[in-house]
Amino acid sequence: METPLVIILFIVAAVATLALGLVFRWVDRKVTAMVQWRVGPPIYQPLADVIKLMGKESMVPVTARGTGFLAAPVVALAATAVAAAILWMAIFQPQHTFVGDLIVVVYLLVVPALMTILGASASGNPHAAVGASREMKLLLSYELPMLMVILVAVAKTGWSFQLGSIIHAQAGSSVAWSISGALALVVAILCMQAKLGQVPFDLAEAECEIMSGVYVEYSGPQLAYWLMTRAMLLALMPLLLVVVFWGGLRPGWGVLLFLLKYVVLVALVTLIRNTNPRLRIDQTMKFFWFFLTPLGVLALLLALAGL
Amino acid sequence: MTVAASKTQVPLSGLVGEILARLGDLVVEVHQCTHRRGIARIDPLRTIEAAERMLGMDGSRLATATGIEVRDGIDILYHWAFEPAGLVVTLKALAPRPGFEIASVANSVPAANWIEREMHDLLGVEFVGHPDMRRLILDDSWPKDLHPLRKDFDQILDRPPLPPNQTPPDVVGEGGGQK
Amino acid sequence: MSLKTWALRKSLWVYHVNTGACNNCDIEVLELLTPRYDIERFGMVLVGSPRHADVLAVTGVCTRQAMPRLQEVYMQTPKPCVVLAIGSCAGAQGIFAEAYHMGMPVDQAIRAVDPNAIIAYVPGCSPKPEAMISAAVKAMELIKTL
Repeated sequence: METPLVIILFIVAAVATLALGLVFRWVDRKVTAMVQWRVGPPIYQPLADVIKLMGKESMVPVTARGTGFLAAPVVALAATAVAAAILWMAIFQPQHTFVGDLIVVVYLLVVPALMTILGASASGNPHAAVGASREMKLLLSYELPMLMVILVAVAKTGWSFQLGSIIHAQAGSSVAWSISGALALVVAILCMQAKLGQVPFDLAEAECEIMSGVYVEYSGPQLAYWLMTRAMLLALMPLLLVVVFWGGLRPGWGVLLFLLKYVVLVALVTLIRNTNPRLRIDQTMKFFWFFLTPLGVLALLLALAGL
Repeated sequence: MTVAASKTQVPLSGLVGEILARLGDLVVEVHQCTHRRGIARIDPLRTIEAAERMLGMDGSRLATATGIEVRDGIDILYHWAFEPAGLVVTLKALAPRPGFEIASVANSVPAANWIEREMHDLLGVEFVGHPDMRRLILDDSWPKDLHPLRKDFDQILDRPPLPPNQTPPDVVGEGGGQK
Repeated sequence: MSLKTWALRKSLWVYHVNTGACNNCDIEVLELLTPRYDIERFGMVLVGSPRHADVLAVTGVCTRQAMPRLQEVYMQTPKPCVVLAIGSCAGAQGIFAEAYHMGMPVDQAIRAVDPNAIIAYVPGCSPKPEAMISAAVKAMELIKTL
């Protein structure tokens, strides 16, 4: 494809993901408010948050390393935007995907967590250091089951690492309709909850509703970039799950089904969040390593056996 | 609470009386010995022995300690609570002027550690032998020998100057650079 | 009214500073989050760091110990920001004005580092949550004139 078209499509994909992510953040806050018998914020609230933060003063603490501190949110946002472009391309034009783009997407979606650790360590604040160490442990915990269940989907669709072929191979029945696929989907939903930084696994930014811990020294536009990155992750992770496990976008009635699956996954994030308390770091690690990883291994074995 | 008239001993009775009797000759004067409350003055040179003896009794606990400035010095009152029976026995010891010195019981009774630091900060009582006499309550910019709860301290006129204001950064827009 | 001012009015993040209060005003501040008063419908949330805040909700008389720290927290809050002095203690130190450990009152302490600070006073001991919401709304009107 010609370069100007690529650039335009990239910008469109990034902005659309951001808008979708901000709407989903609103849905999350509104549903949480309704569960708590409150009236929640209006629909433009996350957008107002981002615009307000862009207009505030940006402060770099004296104890921080300016380079890492300022670069981390920008790199995280950029990585998420590129992952968004690749995923939406896989949804709308599966024939234009390339071999290995599943690996690229998974790698890019790890970058925000790595940048969180980098930015928090560069803050020079003890709260941020505690948050960074928790985020590191969390990253070690949930990436392993996530990768294993993605391997399940790859195994069931003919061992190709191309998103387009994965979607193509699910034209008849999606991965989630087999035993190993269903198990993999459940494990992936829980790993998604941890990746999005939501309760019960949000201890990197405990203590407060929006941000604290890892983001304690950030202000102004940098904080806005972090907010935008989290919003885009909220839009992208369910999308990745639908593409890899649940068949992607099919023509005709498939469009409605796709939207339904997408919304159901986002609603599950909010539902799990509102019904569970936060787990400690040792409980989280035990949960992921001794419960979900064996489940992932089981799903992989079942997939290899053909179930 | 009634203060007994000069040197008249109140008769000891009941559980409180037993406790005060066990202190023996440490007690100089008994001010009150009712059903649940006992107040007695002890020898100020033997406070550590009194504290150890009270601590050794069944069910005792140092509830708190208070300091009152009186004409002769500062009276230190140790309030010992006996939980199952619901008794409180107060032992008074005088830290005399001008030095206000008295032996510290913090080495035997760990509960008295912070209480004695507080009394030193606010009243200026010198606890001899305290393991860790640091400032507890007053802030760091308060001068060392000024004790605000003394009777001769005027709450407004004797106030020391305030700590310095934090300086705002002189240059704005250098990427911040604030603490 | 520019986009920046609209966004600031619609999304005020509150950081709560206690400079020596009896905690009554603090309880009332936390009550604002409960379903009865619910300030989240105005976009106001309680944040955990002064660097994320637009509103500093200050309760308590400013004691000698708290005074430099309050000034430090104010300097760490990115401008534009509004200070809400909540309660009669934060307004003019209330009945404790003659005690030995008082620092300057909250507004004097903040104006010593920033003479152009925007301070809104919420009188009462302790003020009702409706009074605090009314003060926040008035602060939002003040921001329109920035």
